[in-house]
Amino acid sequence: MMTKQEILDKLGISDVNMGLTTGTKWFDTEGKTTTSYSPIDGKEIASVKNGTIDDYEMVITKAREAFKTWRMIPAPVRAEVVRQIGLALREYKEPLGALVTLEMGKIYQEGLGEVQEMIDICDFAVGQARLMNGFNLQSERPMHRLTEQYQPLGVVGIVTSYNFPVAVWAWNSALAIAAGDVVVWKPSSKTPLTAIATMNIIQNVLKENNVPEGVFNMMVAKSSVMGDNFLGDKRVDLLSLTGSTAVGKRAAQIVGKRLGKTLLELGGNNAVIVTPNADLKLAIPSTVFGTVGTAGQRCTTTRRIIIHEDVYDTFVEKFVNAYKSVEKKIGNPLDSNTLVGPLIDKYSVELFQEAVTKVQEEGGKLLFGGEIAKGIGLENGLYVVPAIAEAQNHFKIVQEETFAPIVYLIKYSGGVENAIAINNDVPQGLSSAIFTKDLLEAETFLSGMGSDCGIANVNAGTSGAEIGGAFGGEKETGGGRESGSDAWKVYMRRQTSTVNYSTDLPLAQGIEFNL
Amino acid sequence: MIMEITKDITIEDLIEDYPFSVKYLSTKGIRCIVCGEPIWGTLEEACLEKSFTEDEIEQAVKELNELNKQNK
Repeated sequence: MMTKQEILDKLGISDVNMGLTTGTKWFDTEGKTTTSYSPIDGKEIASVKNGTIDDYEMVITKAREAFKTWRMIPAPVRAEVVRQIGLALREYKEPLGALVTLEMGKIYQEGLGEVQEMIDICDFAVGQARLMNGFNLQSERPMHRLTEQYQPLGVVGIVTSYNFPVAVWAWNSALAIAAGDVVVWKPSSKTPLTAIATMNIIQNVLKENNVPEGVFNMMVAKSSVMGDNFLGDKRVDLLSLTGSTAVGKRAAQIVGKRLGKTLLELGGNNAVIVTPNADLKLAIPSTVFGTVGTAGQRCTTTRRIIIHEDVYDTFVEKFVNAYKSVEKKIGNPLDSNTLVGPLIDKYSVELFQEAVTKVQEEGGKLLFGGEIAKGIGLENGLYVVPAIAEAQNHFKIVQEETFAPIVYLIKYSGGVENAIAINNDVPQGLSSAIFTKDLLEAETFLSGMGSDCGIANVNAGTSGAEIGGAFGGEKETGGGRESGSDAWKVYMRRQTSTVNYSTDLPLAQGIEFNL
Repeated sequence: MIMEITKDITIEDLIEDYPFSVKYLSTKGIRCIVCGEPIWGTLEEACLEKSFTEDEIEQAVKELNELNKQNK
């Protein structure tokens, strides 16, 4: 494993960093300085100068100007830049993955996985760039051609969260850039260094390909500088925001007022259903990864497990035993033996403890964990023992998303439709899963009367999506879809065209209009 | 008393400059941090979302400033 200094040196991170770039040019801004601390040991990693309102204006102006050029470059040529970015990310996968771990606290394997997602979406976008196609439709009028095509949209604003500090930028940017858009990225103030490192990695590609300044923009800024004004800015054609439902609702209102477009990836309250026909050899390890992976700080983290009464006791015994093994592997996320790293900050720990208290106050029973982990290397108080609690779905705390490793066990009886009703009875609708070997149960779960979530898996957990499928959810999760499948369409402007190649002027619906 | 904290301060700045505010506002039913990130908007907006009256907002600001004084 590289040392901290080696990681920073390889990625061009200094003690104090500029927090604004328009691609290859960096700007020495005069905003507040943000210091990034590692949740691993609480020590300072480096600091970043924030952008100001004037800087924001400069960036948006530059982006709009760059769009005029970028939109006219053929999509496969634009995607060649994305391909080279994917190659650069391959080269820097280890140090960038390690910086993700250092700055955010997820285990190194997951840090590497995050960079791999960036690479995967670059590869995906390269192919997609040749298939950003519309339809040829049948016109009702003779010698008319009716088509649909997709055009570049404009400036895409991207707001990312600390838990996937760079992958979400890549999901959006790879497709947006291939689609002919330009991007303005506001990274999380908790993980600005990974954003700076990413921009450092790609800048040689931008230079070598003469990509105009203003196509790839990134600005570290407070929400007072790049918040409501960013959301309300008519010059931003699409606002892609990953974060809490609270921030998403605010964004939807502000962007909605100007009838702008949003792509919202908000909170989840994801459940796994374990039926009497489940293979527990699959269900247990998969669900444990879903509950404690990234220390419960994924939007797809498994928050609830809905277990049939016939297998409840067996499942709980095995599940608690698995947690006993996990408890021994709480520690420094850069250590290859670690399975659970720290939470991002002391506030997250407080919210975790609050949830543990609240579930018991509402009548739930704590079965495992819930305390701050103790031991050598865990002294900063950000490491917690993942909690398991028995609960009822209607508990207020169960209806909320707690961004920490606490999972609620809920017993059900009767048919799978009862479990599905519990699955759906929360405000959020991101991810869901069922473990069963019964075809009827599986298909019911995937049917129109099944899970109401954007993601519904069978014999696979709620987290760990591939980039090839569209990612997103319903209800208070926001309704947006990004990453694979046809998510590229949100980054483009849809246009229907009628071409008349006759010498007559027939009107649609046979309307007569004789002058 | 000079009011350092005003109702116009953003939650993000409040958390950064006056970290004790998170616990205080939590007791008032305001969650400053959701999904590990600060909510956007001002202290006043967060209070209004929880149906605080003008007087209650003023009281909250006053109490935050008192807490700040004690924390110094």
